[in-house]
Amino acid sequence: MSRKEEILGRIRAVIRERYDKPSLDDLQATVFPDPLAAFIAASQTAGSKVVELATGADINETVRGLFPEAGVIASNLPEISIATLNPDTVGSAQELNGTDVGIIRGSFGVAENGCIWIPQAMKEKAVCFISENLVILLSKTEIVNNMHEAYRRVDLGDYGYGTFISGPSKTADIAQTLVMGAQAARSVTVVLV
Amino acid sequence: MSKHSKKAKAFLKDAGYSEWHDATFWAVREKRDNMSHGLPEWEQLREKASQIKLHTLSHLDQYLEQFASQAEKNGTIVHWAADAAEFNQIVFEILSSHGVKKIVKSKSMLTEECGMNPYLESKGIEVVETDLGERIIQLLGQAPSHIVMPAVHLTPDQVGELFEREGISDEIGNHDPTYLTYRARLSLRNEFLTAGAGMTGANFGIAATGDIVVCTNEGNADMSTSCPKLHIAALGLEKVIPDYDSLAVFQRLLCRSATGQPTTSYTSHFRKARPGAEPMHIILVDNGRSQWIGNQQHWKTLKCIRCGSCMNTCPVYRRSGGYSYSYFIPGPVGVNLGMLRDPRAHSGNVSACTLCKSCQCVCPVKIDLGEQIYQWRQQLPEWGTEPASKRMLCKGMSTVFNHPLLYKTATGVLPKKPFHSLKLDKDE
Repeated sequence: MSRKEEILGRIRAVIRERYDKPSLDDLQATVFPDPLAAFIAASQTAGSKVVELATGADINETVRGLFPEAGVIASNLPEISIATLNPDTVGSAQELNGTDVGIIRGSFGVAENGCIWIPQAMKEKAVCFISENLVILLSKTEIVNNMHEAYRRVDLGDYGYGTFISGPSKTADIAQTLVMGAQAARSVTVVLV
Repeated sequence: MSKHSKKAKAFLKDAGYSEWHDATFWAVREKRDNMSHGLPEWEQLREKASQIKLHTLSHLDQYLEQFASQAEKNGTIVHWAADAAEFNQIVFEILSSHGVKKIVKSKSMLTEECGMNPYLESKGIEVVETDLGERIIQLLGQAPSHIVMPAVHLTPDQVGELFEREGISDEIGNHDPTYLTYRARLSLRNEFLTAGAGMTGANFGIAATGDIVVCTNEGNADMSTSCPKLHIAALGLEKVIPDYDSLAVFQRLLCRSATGQPTTSYTSHFRKARPGAEPMHIILVDNGRSQWIGNQQHWKTLKCIRCGSCMNTCPVYRRSGGYSYSYFIPGPVGVNLGMLRDPRAHSGNVSACTLCKSCQCVCPVKIDLGEQIYQWRQQLPEWGTEPASKRMLCKGMSTVFNHPLLYKTATGVLPKKPFHSLKLDKDE
């Protein structure tokens, strides 16, 4: 008998009562009168900067304006012309180390906690974490209220990886002092388009 | 006096430190309260979470099969480990078959439970913890004092001096947490770039999709799996839940309960290896769990999602610290898990409870932690681990109450003396 069968057999042998799966239909989950405003507030609480792309403004100029000092900019988005590295064509994830600004696209945002769903849409997902500063482009019409609504929309895509990001990498592991910029991006800027 | 009480007594000798410890965890409890009060559906979420866990655990055979077959369909390699030794061996075999000499890993209490790090190190593999708190205690050769904030017992000076000794920081005397965190970032960045494999635990396994879900604030699980070409994920059997609808309930509860944030910075789903990488390995670990599910009185402890809120609120944990407990998981849930693991070894922890039941009022999956500890106390005679003084006292009381004449004599004598004048023997 395989280990798997042995373990499953042991579980089958000891379970006495089987409990039904609860229905979640009656869950009264929080919804917001203005989900976009709630999303912006939650993002800021999580440590993100939120900017709206002005009508007619160019995304490249906007990002450049936010990070005038940036040398290495990584992105595979077709509308980004200022990129100096492409996470689709780098030889290894390690080559992305030293990226000043990574620019990626989010699918939708979550009003209750500022999470943005980022399905992997590039060969090296390292760009989402290894960049010193992360810029996430997000359509302001793509905001859901809460995680229940969010998980009905989650799609990992072909790469089989996706993450909700809410704010920069952070830690309070030294004496409970909150510090932004632990192991991944030190800043997150959400650009609403 | 129990083993826990003795260690707690030593902990309390430093009054300033113990007051700081108490206040620190109470502040986390208050942050959690702010979160729970901000969601009108909080109690409904807890009830649903509890019901989903009861359902899943009582159908665990089916959900594990579904999870494993989905994961295999996704192209991952699924292993089953009966115990800690088997788990460690599986990890080592995967690493050595890929010629890996160094791994970066994100926080996993399961690998702590199995003693994986010392095992791999004995086999010549370097293990680098990448959660900042875990890295600090790893360098100090210590165990975590809390499951979510493993290095919370240390002061910035202690961390700063450690980093100076290890060559991580170069400004001697700069013990500012922001500076120290930045220096650790630089040091760990180098480890991420050069490790041969990344290892993660899992907060959840999703049966419907085969996803492994890992929640971190630091992004270290994502860094650990973005650079190395090999990803090994380890999860205890009880981490599997049915589907995304269930996950939404737990995701909303976990971080709010743990640190008082509405979410962790990263909630990451791993379904398969990235392009050009080796297939992902998932190790499902039993190590006692399949037996515990059959423990009629205590199986519900397996509902735990490891948020640590029971520790933060516990008046005994706050005033005795994580190292006063004999099991590697402290606090109310640790008392219960330790007793499931080995009641003879961990009976000393059941005294670390005032039965105030604050823990079960905050537990996001509604485990009756205090009731469980009370029940364990009743079971101590089964293992002969009840305190001798209490056994004698109960025997004596039983004799008195069972003999009316003796009782009348005793009660006829006692009230004549005021209670405070009675000389009681000092407790042992």
